[in-house]
Amino acid sequence: MTADPVAQRLQKRLPVPYTEWLPELVRRNVGKWVDRRFHGYGIIEHISSTGDRVFTVKVGTPPNFRMSTETMRKFIDIADKLGIGGIKITRNGNLEILTDSLDKAVKIKEEVEKMGFPVGGWGPTLWSINSCTAFLTCTTAVVDAPSITKVLYDHLKPYFTGEVKLPAKLRINVSGCPSSCGGFTSDINIVGHYGDAPTYDPERVKLCLPRSAKALEAGHVPEVAEVCPTGAIKVYGKPDGTVGLDVIRSKCIACGRCRDVCDWMDFDESKIGVAILVGGKASNTGRGSMPSIQVIPWVPAIPPEYREIVAVVKKIIDVWRANAREGERIGDWIARVGMEQFYKLLEIPVTKWNKPVAISGEFGIRQFGPI
Amino acid sequence: MQVRVKKPLTVDEYAKQGMEMLKYYESGPWPSHVTELKKTKYPIEAYAAGLAAGKTMWAAGSAKIRYVYTGFIARRTRDGKISELHFRVWQPSGYLYSTEKLRKLMDFADKYGLGLLEIAGQQGLMIISIRPEVADEAVDYLRNVVGTDIGATGDTIRELAACVGPALCEFALYDTLEARDRFMTHPKIYEWMSNQLFPFKFKAKFSGCPFDCTRAVHRADFGFIGVWVGAPEVDQELLRKKIEAGEVDPARLAANCPSGAITWDPEKKELKIDGTRCKKSMHCIRAAYPAIKPGKERKIAVVVGGHVKGRFGGKMGKPLAVVNSVEEAMDWVVKTVESWTEYMEKGVVKHKDRIGDFIMKVGFKKYVTEILGLKEEKKPTLHPSLRAGAVLDDEERTMWANWASKLVEEYFGRRP
Repeated sequence: MTADPVAQRLQKRLPVPYTEWLPELVRRNVGKWVDRRFHGYGIIEHISSTGDRVFTVKVGTPPNFRMSTETMRKFIDIADKLGIGGIKITRNGNLEILTDSLDKAVKIKEEVEKMGFPVGGWGPTLWSINSCTAFLTCTTAVVDAPSITKVLYDHLKPYFTGEVKLPAKLRINVSGCPSSCGGFTSDINIVGHYGDAPTYDPERVKLCLPRSAKALEAGHVPEVAEVCPTGAIKVYGKPDGTVGLDVIRSKCIACGRCRDVCDWMDFDESKIGVAILVGGKASNTGRGSMPSIQVIPWVPAIPPEYREIVAVVKKIIDVWRANAREGERIGDWIARVGMEQFYKLLEIPVTKWNKPVAISGEFGIRQFGPI
Repeated sequence: MQVRVKKPLTVDEYAKQGMEMLKYYESGPWPSHVTELKKTKYPIEAYAAGLAAGKTMWAAGSAKIRYVYTGFIARRTRDGKISELHFRVWQPSGYLYSTEKLRKLMDFADKYGLGLLEIAGQQGLMIISIRPEVADEAVDYLRNVVGTDIGATGDTIRELAACVGPALCEFALYDTLEARDRFMTHPKIYEWMSNQLFPFKFKAKFSGCPFDCTRAVHRADFGFIGVWVGAPEVDQELLRKKIEAGEVDPARLAANCPSGAITWDPEKKELKIDGTRCKKSMHCIRAAYPAIKPGKERKIAVVVGGHVKGRFGGKMGKPLAVVNSVEEAMDWVVKTVESWTEYMEKGVVKHKDRIGDFIMKVGFKKYVTEILGLKEEKKPTLHPSLRAGAVLDDEERTMWANWASKLVEEYFGRRP
């Protein structure tokens, strides 16, 4: 066998060490940062023990962090012209343009605002709304997360820029289906789902099933049934030797796993909606990291305005603003006042899909006890 | 149960109506994704049609790139009209770029792609849309000209997220960026990342301090979080200065400490922190930095089995051990992945079971003591399964719609 030179692709070419990708001023100061100062929302000064200073200007980006190269090149030009030739992309999908003086940082802020991009997203503000791709590329999306995100951002922009103060940091996740690639462990989470058991086209679904019932005799379970966490999907041999499929509605929890593995499982779009989960956080501040809880199992998702979703999110934020202490994230606040109180404030009906749960114990690194 | 087909679900059928709907998203104060998409060669009518139909137009496509088994995602519309290809591009630890490197990435996206980026995909990796016909050539360009590669899709090593760490943050308690570099190039991980051999995805996250900016406790099979031992370090002199200057209120520091570990002695003007009670909430550090800093003795807390997308709902990370370096945990990572795949061969673990599901099936105690050979010391805290979704009948749906419409009235006024 002669070695194919193309096979070298199996040895990934990784961007290591990371220092090769850094702008010069940052590279000189890795590990030497000693302090920081804040200059309003979105401008942060990092101070190094060498006396060097770096200012980051945090810029909000479009839904699903989509950007044309044309726009990105404009940011790169700004980072060269007014900055130190460096940009950081944050875990929240914001852009940070790096520079070395407050004057330049303020100029950068002006420039990007002229381009129509907001600066903010730091401190007790809305940091970002994380959206999955949904109808842009995804095969399993139930609702379109980017357009929901756009509408929410349009309504909540003053919370990002800091014009209106929040009690603490706020992150919102929007996911198009229960797989929740956009996440559902933040302060407020919006997750699209079927609102009912999945449907299927009996002809097309055969593409996900074995051709002959003989295959089932050996105990083989096709993946579309096998992935169901509640055993709601049954496959069986028919008298004519083909394979049939049934969905047991009473067992279904509309989690969408079957559609993850079979494009031909389907849903009735007149019944779709979004579930809203609250109170999740990763940071160890306050009461520590927390899971999120589904408090509203279903509200309709009606484009283009998505008024129901916007109203519910605004209400949750308003109630939080009116009742929380300074520095208390939504999860910490609900943990203090109790889930029942939160339900009362929002007049949320209780059904089998959103029973208030009392969360006891501590999560994340607090599970280790005192370190 | 049969589906009633109203109109054929094709791009052509819905695109016109959808393009009208998209106009709405080009206005408003926040930067628009539609405006950005229109500046590129992205087939926007597929997105528009999806919005109008209330159904995504995309189905799984297929693409072949020689000797590349992970890192690209192929899509086609259900009517076969349009196909799309995405590259997930490995990024440097910390996602901090010189403009020179970023320009190379932009050149790549323009030369081989649609001029469209997802600057931080859900895992943090940049995703670049590519023209399928030049995909093969694009891989070489990425490898030889840009100096990176594609990867992190499918049942393999996915993106490993690190916080910005020592590159731009004074709170980093260990070098998260170097740790990620070393993790990626660890012989086993490096070997695994080119193929898809696992039951499902594998993710690791590196957070430099308890703020956990990478959200390791929620979304990592292995999360490495920087911690310190005992109490934070207090520079009493500097703290007194801060108190005199009115920057810090010691009474509030003590009152707001979630661990109840802080006492303030107004006589001696000294702040005491009880290290045996400190839960590392960072509250005092944030309020009084640099007068109060993380302690000098630094460790890494390892949590295992967290994920959002798993068969039995999302789970939070469970406590594994507190170690001195990520290297100390590498054997556990390798053992865990190997048994996870071995258990799939045994039929215990199924395809699409994350490591958290695997641990759930074998039991945390057995996993820690028998599979890893450790002494079990920590009990994980139980929490309800993290999940979203509901199966409702019409009556219940109407109830929720009415509940929501009351709020709509409150914020938008009555519908005319």
